[in-house]
Amino acid sequence: MQIRLAGIGGQGVVLAGVILGEAAAIEGLNVLQTQDYSSASRGGHSIADVIISKEPIYDVMVTKADVLVALAQLGYDTVKESLKEDGLLIIDTDLVKPDRDYIGAPFTRLAEESTGLSLTVNMVALGYLVAKTGVVKKENVEEAIRRRVPKGTEEINLKAFAAGFEEGSK
Amino acid sequence: MIVRGDEPEQIRLLKKLYRPGNYFMQGNEALAYGAIFAGCRFYAGYPITPSSEIAEMMARELPKLGGYYLQMEDEIGSIAAMVGASWTGFKVMTATAGPGFSLMQENLGYAVMTETPLVLVDVQRSGPSTGQATKGAQGDFFQARWGTHGDHPIVALSPTSGQDAFWETIRAFNIAERLRTPVVMLFDGVLAHTRELVKIPDVEEVEITYRKLPKNEEEAKLPFGDPHGDGVPPMPLFGHGYFTHVTGSTHKENGLRDVYTPEVHDRLVRRLHRKIEKNKDVYEKYEEHFTEDAEILVVSWGVTARPALGAVLKAREEGIKAGLFVPKTVHPFPGERMKQLGKRVRAVLVAEMNLGQMIIEVERYINDDVLLKGINKIGGVPLTVEEILREIRGVA
Repeated sequence: MQIRLAGIGGQGVVLAGVILGEAAAIEGLNVLQTQDYSSASRGGHSIADVIISKEPIYDVMVTKADVLVALAQLGYDTVKESLKEDGLLIIDTDLVKPDRDYIGAPFTRLAEESTGLSLTVNMVALGYLVAKTGVVKKENVEEAIRRRVPKGTEEINLKAFAAGFEEGSK
Repeated sequence: MIVRGDEPEQIRLLKKLYRPGNYFMQGNEALAYGAIFAGCRFYAGYPITPSSEIAEMMARELPKLGGYYLQMEDEIGSIAAMVGASWTGFKVMTATAGPGFSLMQENLGYAVMTETPLVLVDVQRSGPSTGQATKGAQGDFFQARWGTHGDHPIVALSPTSGQDAFWETIRAFNIAERLRTPVVMLFDGVLAHTRELVKIPDVEEVEITYRKLPKNEEEAKLPFGDPHGDGVPPMPLFGHGYFTHVTGSTHKENGLRDVYTPEVHDRLVRRLHRKIEKNKDVYEKYEEHFTEDAEILVVSWGVTARPALGAVLKAREEGIKAGLFVPKTVHPFPGERMKQLGKRVRAVLVAEMNLGQMIIEVERYINDDVLLKGINKIGGVPLTVEEILREIRGVA
């Protein structure tokens, strides 16, 4: 499965991609994760790609995404063409106005409500993605979060992930 | 301090700091781990995208191992500091990208001429000039070969994944030490930033080599001679009590300058070449897939070798007799093997992220009646399995 996460710098898109990749690695799947961002430290587009497969992976980039998670309009506009025609589009419904079928929730608002911090939007979206696709097990993502987020922020990130997972399980 | 003579303590430290196992990490990190396991304990750097994680990691880890990270004022200083540190016995490395690699060329030649072991990593990015700073490419193939001036041999390796970068970096150090020569690692911005599972092995699984030291005073007096007939002189290290003269100018076997006598220059530079040519078994390495009965041969290297393998596997599924040849040591190019393979096929496709560089080497070794075609892509986006497969189908 080829998953692409798209947003703007500062939303934690790359970290979400790394955590998803690490979770797949913990699960024993083949996984390859890359990123692409503008040279601006915030505000430019930010893309994280994760390829997860039981088979060996030969492409070193997402060629056609099965799933696109868009957290900002700029990110969506930059890569929307790469989503398969029958692919799954997941968006922050407050921030992205797509031109095709989608599912989603107001992730940034959910982040603020659950943790008081809009910057946990990446974990909310990750929770939603995992609930909707089942691409990796919830526990493995939680383990990956503990390994990868800055020390002392584990609980808040896990809380945001849980909020997104719950929203996606509705 | 340095690894030689300090193995028990170094092994204890490595075991304590880096538990064997599978880790999800970037290619740059895997490469840096390779350097650490190879015994690199000195790094002089000037960080540049997309190589910066290597400097970051060496700055963080080397002090824990009794090693040194030196932040230099620029790339010219970085390679100069490495040459100096190498002459004190350190295994040394730096990593850079296109613009920095350009600045290092003069002292790379100095390292060739002074027979200084070092590993120079070029994480290739899209050029020319500052180009696309964050994007990967394979455009420095010939810069590695001929970037520095004058007749000179060079050894350059190019890994094809993060895991491969770990082991190939160790191999690069072993070649540099064994042949007392600089070795270039042609990595790329794509693999540098790709995270994958990388297995960190037990320290005991890693074999490392040290440069030859003079066995006696007589050998120490000829730091640029050939006492053993293999073209590789022992290296009298600074601080070991020898009087040694090291210069980039033409020198005699004893190291003293003689920039006028034609025979002295001829003897020195021919030996530098002979040292590499004669010791092919130390560095030559390539991979082959389905070459036994291949009618169409794909030749590729570095990051592109991977989608190339995917494409060859798919072509085989479709009944097309495709094969793949991947030089792992790209300089000196494995021409003999290329020649043998070229005789058996009717088409050769060379896939690389540039406008056609390795293909120029390939062309030297295949006959005119073989169809030769490049599969080239620039702009920072890697070639895909589908794109290479399309080209294979096109000549099937």
